[in-house]
Amino acid sequence: MGKRKSRAKPPPKKRMDKLDTVFSCPFCNHGTSVECRVDMKNLIGEAVCGICQESFSMTITALTEPIDIYSEWIDECERVNSLEDDGA
Amino acid sequence: MEDLDEYDHQPMNEDMEPEEEDADEEITQEDAWAVISAYFEDKGLVRQQLDSFDEFIQNTMQEIVDESADIEIRPESQHNPGHQSGIVGCVVLRLSTFWRKNDGCPGRNFQTIYKISFGQIYLSKPMMTESDGETATLFPKAARLRNLTYSAPLYVDVTKRVIKKGHDGEEVTETQDFTKVPIMLRSSYCTLYQNSEKDLTELGECPYDQGGYFIINGSEKVLIAQEKMSTNHVYVFKKRQPNKYAYVGEVRSMAESQNRPPSTMFVRMLSRTSAKGGSSGQYIRATLPYIRTEIPIIIVFRALGFVADKDILEHICYDFADTQMMELLRPSLEEAFVIQNQQVALDYIGKRGATVGVTREKRIKYAKEILQKEMLPHVGVGEYCETKKAYYFGYIIHRLLLCALGRRAEDDRDHYGNKRLDLAGPLLGGLFRMLFRKLTRDVRSYVQKCVDNGKDVNLQFAIKAKTITSGLKYSLATGNWGQANAAGTRAGVSQVLNRLTYASTLSHLRRLNSPIGREGKLAKPRQLHNSQWGMMCPAETPEGQACGLVKNLALMVYITVGSAAYPILEFLEEWGTENFEEISPAVIPQATKIFVNGGWVGIHRDPDMLVKTLRRLRRRVDVNTEVGVVRDIRLKELRIYTDYGRCSRPLFIVEKQKLLIRKKDIHALQQRETPDEGGWNDLVSKGFIEYIDTEEEETTMISMTIHDLVQARLNPEEAYSDTYTHCEIHPSLILGVCASIIPFPDHNQASQSISCLRKFVGGMSPRNTYQSAMGKQAMGIYVTNYQFRMDTLAYVLYYPQKPLVTTRAMEHLHFRQLPAGINAIVAIACYSGYNQEDSVIMNQSSIDRGFFRSLFFRSYRDEEKKMGTLVKEDFGRPDRSNTMGMRHGSYDKLDDDGLAPPEDAQGQSARYTRRDHSISLRHSETGMVDQVLLTTNADGLRFVKVRVRSVRIPQIGDKFSSRHGQKGTVGMTYTQEDMPWTVEGITPDIIVNPHAIPSRMTIGQLIECIMGKVAAHMGKEGDATPFTDVTVDNISKALHKCGYQMRGFETMYNGHTGRRLSAMIFLGPTYYQRLKHMVDDKIHSRGRGPVQILTRQPAEGRSRDGGLRFGEMERDCMIAHGAAHFLKERLFDQSDAYRVHVCERCGLIAIANLKKNSFECRGCKNKTDIVQVHIPYACKLLFQELMAMAIAPRMLTKDIKQAKSQKKKGA
Repeated sequence: MGKRKSRAKPPPKKRMDKLDTVFSCPFCNHGTSVECRVDMKNLIGEAVCGICQESFSMTITALTEPIDIYSEWIDECERVNSLEDDGA
Repeated sequence: MEDLDEYDHQPMNEDMEPEEEDADEEITQEDAWAVISAYFEDKGLVRQQLDSFDEFIQNTMQEIVDESADIEIRPESQHNPGHQSGIVGCVVLRLSTFWRKNDGCPGRNFQTIYKISFGQIYLSKPMMTESDGETATLFPKAARLRNLTYSAPLYVDVTKRVIKKGHDGEEVTETQDFTKVPIMLRSSYCTLYQNSEKDLTELGECPYDQGGYFIINGSEKVLIAQEKMSTNHVYVFKKRQPNKYAYVGEVRSMAESQNRPPSTMFVRMLSRTSAKGGSSGQYIRATLPYIRTEIPIIIVFRALGFVADKDILEHICYDFADTQMMELLRPSLEEAFVIQNQQVALDYIGKRGATVGVTREKRIKYAKEILQKEMLPHVGVGEYCETKKAYYFGYIIHRLLLCALGRRAEDDRDHYGNKRLDLAGPLLGGLFRMLFRKLTRDVRSYVQKCVDNGKDVNLQFAIKAKTITSGLKYSLATGNWGQANAAGTRAGVSQVLNRLTYASTLSHLRRLNSPIGREGKLAKPRQLHNSQWGMMCPAETPEGQACGLVKNLALMVYITVGSAAYPILEFLEEWGTENFEEISPAVIPQATKIFVNGGWVGIHRDPDMLVKTLRRLRRRVDVNTEVGVVRDIRLKELRIYTDYGRCSRPLFIVEKQKLLIRKKDIHALQQRETPDEGGWNDLVSKGFIEYIDTEEEETTMISMTIHDLVQARLNPEEAYSDTYTHCEIHPSLILGVCASIIPFPDHNQASQSISCLRKFVGGMSPRNTYQSAMGKQAMGIYVTNYQFRMDTLAYVLYYPQKPLVTTRAMEHLHFRQLPAGINAIVAIACYSGYNQEDSVIMNQSSIDRGFFRSLFFRSYRDEEKKMGTLVKEDFGRPDRSNTMGMRHGSYDKLDDDGLAPPEDAQGQSARYTRRDHSISLRHSETGMVDQVLLTTNADGLRFVKVRVRSVRIPQIGDKFSSRHGQKGTVGMTYTQEDMPWTVEGITPDIIVNPHAIPSRMTIGQLIECIMGKVAAHMGKEGDATPFTDVTVDNISKALHKCGYQMRGFETMYNGHTGRRLSAMIFLGPTYYQRLKHMVDDKIHSRGRGPVQILTRQPAEGRSRDGGLRFGEMERDCMIAHGAAHFLKERLFDQSDAYRVHVCERCGLIAIANLKKNSFECRGCKNKTDIVQVHIPYACKLLFQELMAMAIAPRMLTKDIKQAKSQKKKGA
């Protein structure tokens, strides 16, 4: 029976979280089904849900990242929802 | 100037008159020692500890209490099943009426609000409440002896306000018992504060003891200063390529009185190659707290409300004509081109925050909050800080660009100006703040519970004094800084004060630690940095893993305690500093930027005048003397510091190549009647001396000696500088406590290469560093009151002598009063060769006369214990007829009370204190019972400490050393007749081998020896202070005058034969130290003895009478000798043999009952095929452990053939 190691190593430093690239779908609510395509050539970004095939596309800029497209989509949904609410 | 005139009228002037003409004369280096004496008289040696603690008691504690917001409690509606919704309507109705009747309980219509706030705190003198309720002042001596905690009760005004139905109700203020704060000895709240030497002696204290430590449960604890990087400071580093980034700017921002860890901001410039797409430029990006990616800097500006490119550029590059810098910003501008308004920029940041999938408004709000509260909190966390923040953010980028353009070198992480020291005050402050927060949380939850249950709020029960008391005690007792078993605690902050020798105590109180991983490969932080000159001792650091990370303060360091910044801000305002509202960025390049504690407060157009005024005011003490004023001409910055933890040191002020202090001031200093009038503080307030911190030091020109200064004035062409601003008080003060004891340290090799110290490389060895470590193990008189103390271990030297050869600094270290060594006559010769390999020959006759005899004390303690209410242990003499578990040996030494009386000789295994199992003397130690202390502890239970004393006479194997890192053990003792003698009949006490000298180059020891010889003959002390003009030639001449050979050689005659030795011998008095390592404490052998229960292997360690390991290398050796049977016999048959019964069928251990002679393997239902096997016990244990983890170790006793045939049968 050898001596136990005196102390456990300190846990590795927490790196800064990376930005998400997969998101939960605003339609089917699946956790990681939305993926974003960023087409820098045509400046078009598209978010597609792999489960329910809902999608959203927008024009993008050089700084656009998946999170931007997804956030725009959420905003768009919000806008449509509130319009419907008003309509109803 | 008026002060000066006043000074002249003092009565002592009469005897100064004949010297009138030289009153205005330049002072000499000798006079500087008068100033140094005044310094130590005033400050003592542990001023940093005391100042820091006083600041904590006098200000910090109250500030922490004040900064807490009022506790406001509103009754919360209780969860009430069936009450939540209208499902069961009638029930709800009935219930609510029921609640209404019960007045004061949660109702929705009216609300009672309780407000609790903490106000003034009061601290009493250290007190102790006995178990019978009697309270009395506590003195340190009692605390040490009775294992109490030296702490003072703290009271606080607590105000309780009850607001009923909207209007203010009654307001009750009570003074509450709050906590007990451990008090630092000799601080202004200590009972010993400003006691005279006589009083101290009467109180059982050592008048030379400096205080600066705490007493927790009877043990003395020091808080080790912790080094950290200074916050609110912009650092720019160049990254070693290849790397994603080329340059990184870094600010660790922390608002004042902020408890959170600092919020770090990085601004990074990408390197050209790594940018996305390869070709595009060097974007600059910043990290913001809680934002998950780097944000382009321009977007940060836009989010702060600076949208136009011009506005942004103005905040970074101030001067639009600077095309180089503008060019560097172009890629960043282009990158952020797509984001052209504040909302979009905020949204861009908000999207990258912690929460995903929220609406735009929320994201923008989130981003705004991050920018306001989390980014660069030291600039401001309130509203409308955007302008200031933009300026500061722009400044960070500006600094980054300066470095990127190569106009400025990258910052130096290891520069001591960038370091701050957390001393006892800030350390306790942080702990107190944390515990106070916990207390307020507890109070809140208690009051909430009371209110919700409709009970009366009793503040007495709400405030648990124990929270803080035990929290402080826990950290001080264990050294784990922070809450028990919480993350982020630092270990080893509080240490048991080293009481081996007086110098080791002093050195321990001035120690500091850098909390960097000891395993780190990086050598940089361990190396001695130029900026540590005069602040940290260059010699005193441990060898090995902590080398260079644990440091010791130099003798004349002052660590700032911190002062408020507002007087400085007010002054700046008054003297024409323009703040950001008043200026346009275009004027910045012409003006000087003003920073206070790292925050940019404004600009000034005449920095010359401003700095001069500030310095003048500081020298007049109109501005706090510890304020640092740093003018960086190249950067056009003026940085002013008032924060705590900076290292600074006093220097003579020089104006026009002349010291401001004159001869007459020294005369006045020397002739003052009481130490109180006109001491050190006077010198400072008259503007002769000022404190310069590490950063300000970079802006000064300091003359090393007064002589240099005079020469520079007389002979300007050859002078090193014609712009001296300061002069060193004395260069020998760069050393710390332990290195100041070394005579002629400037003549020893001092290679400070860290690689040498960590592991010997190339045979270089810093002797002063070795002596600094060894001086701490020397025996001497560690305190004058050692007879009244019950230290667990103590060493005292019989006839300690003050050294013949001294340094001036020793005077202030009280080394003459509490010495640790003897002036031995040392010869450097082989003489029989029993002194090879660092051993020494010692004169047995000297030993018989008491040479290096010492006392050894060990204290044992025990207390009666209460277990429950019925069982109580008590002291008494055990009787074999009625006591269970008594041990072998004699209990006769014990008195009726169960304790051994003093002056009773204790042999081995005598017991002197009884419990069911009494405590016995350590085997291997003998001694007399020296003192028995019977008292009660904090719980009122009987408590005893017994001190055993033994005399240690030098013998072969004991360790000795000179003061130059030349240690050695005694290899042989010869009686005087056998020792060599000189014509005068002198025989040496110690003979060291000449081989100890050449490779180690401890020339200091040789000079000490000849100077010692001169000193002994003249009846004077020799001065061996480093960096003086004493030369070997001078000493040699003096020695020659005494009638000796110039270089200290003497003709000697062999003691055994009487013949003249063919070589002359270097002989003279050298101060030697007896080190605490002695053979009697180490000698150990064992034949049979105790074994561990589980493994039956011999116990480990001398204290347990353990075995000596016969390891695998020793085993290999036996095998190589072909002595395999010997091995088996020793290691197995004679030490670890065991027999087990094995089932032949399954190979596993079977059940054997030897008494009944029955054997069985249950698994195989086998009672016949069982064999007995001899294996080592360790092997049996291994098999059982394997079986416990579901591995079946089978012992197959039949040969393998058979096993194979069995298999065939099966198949």
